[in-house]
Amino acid sequence: MSRIPFSPITINWTLTFRCNFNCRHCYSRPEKAPELPTEQVKEIMAKVAKYKVPFINYGGGEPLLRSDLFELTGYAAALGFNVSMNTNGFLMTEEKAALAKESGFKTVGVSIDSTRPEAHDDFRNTKGSHNKAVSAAKFLKDKGVRLTISSVICRINYTEFEDLVRQARDLGAEQISLHNYKCAGMGFTNRDELDLSPAEWKEFYLKAIALREKVTDIRISMDDPITATIHKAPEQAIVKGSTCGKLSLNIRANGDVTPCGFIPVVIGNLLTDDLKDLWDNSKVLEKMRNKKPKEKCLTCKHYEDCLGGCTARAYATTGDFNSPDPHCWVAK
Amino acid sequence: MRNIRRNPDIIWREEEEAREEAVKAMERGDDASGEGTALLVESGMMHQLNLLGGEIWKLLDGIDEEALVDRLAEVFDVDRETLSRDVRDFLIDIDRRGWLVHE
Repeated sequence: MSRIPFSPITINWTLTFRCNFNCRHCYSRPEKAPELPTEQVKEIMAKVAKYKVPFINYGGGEPLLRSDLFELTGYAAALGFNVSMNTNGFLMTEEKAALAKESGFKTVGVSIDSTRPEAHDDFRNTKGSHNKAVSAAKFLKDKGVRLTISSVICRINYTEFEDLVRQARDLGAEQISLHNYKCAGMGFTNRDELDLSPAEWKEFYLKAIALREKVTDIRISMDDPITATIHKAPEQAIVKGSTCGKLSLNIRANGDVTPCGFIPVVIGNLLTDDLKDLWDNSKVLEKMRNKKPKEKCLTCKHYEDCLGGCTARAYATTGDFNSPDPHCWVAK
Repeated sequence: MRNIRRNPDIIWREEEEAREEAVKAMERGDDASGEGTALLVESGMMHQLNLLGGEIWKLLDGIDEEALVDRLAEVFDVDRETLSRDVRDFLIDIDRRGWLVHE
């Protein structure tokens, strides 16, 4: 598509920054913001619905800590949104899984980062969390909720991703999202220990893309613009480079809007600002949509496809949207 | 003739601004076939349709192919034979992708 859609396709929504976990990679752990009450969240939902945004995905913070989660979801679904969430699963019960179905969740993503319970529990800093996540997945499946599994690829699991795919398939997931490691929040603090080198990222993506092309009974999702340097999508992507600010926006717990959850640059607040106005006129979004190559990107033949890779990673490590993605393996 | 519907699992949205531009381009006699006027999301993948595809897609709410061409002929200034062929090609393509339900 030659133009940006007239409004976001997806709103990633942090309903709360509170969390019952203390994960080693968490982007939002250091974030603090007051939480909007139910009625104000609904007010923003209604404003967003005016612009026909089709998808809302709750991230976090742990969404299940909001006591009004299912009420909000019912409200959002009635407005026409396709609602999903990412949860660590620890608080999911049979009853809550039934409420997830009833309130209108289209899909629920459960985070599982290893098939080895001790590795997952260590990464998530919570003993028993792997067992709870597996139980959550089962509760959701039993109640007829479409299940996805989310795994953050990092040092603990990048050579074991085939096991992760197998585990997700065994749990009945329709999709496994192999999320790239983000150097934001705790992810930045623990980057040396958990992030991969560019060569390791390349090795991982080559294998994971090969598996994705082979597997037919589960979708493998890898949303990372630097894969454009090694893989041509079968159909032309709607937009190139990072999708944040082009197809999606992020809403924080207090209604602040940022281009993505991993870029803590506030462009407005939906209690007072109009979504369409921000989408069309934000200088920050304009910069993200019109990146200029820098350093090794200046002469790179892949730039027109990857547009410098992940803008969030570039920004987190250099403070500049235009810097090359630190995960990029392409030589200077 | 069987009626055709959009697959209800596909989430879609008309891109109003892009459509307006494409209609203006068509009225000027310019080629607007590259302008995406509708976005579809299916199994996590995003697709776009051009003006003709988008107009067909909107009408697929339980309609047979003949009636579909009749409706489109009101919008597109093109001979019936060409329009019928383009509609048929488009329907075959999206049917192959699993985007249609036949009643």
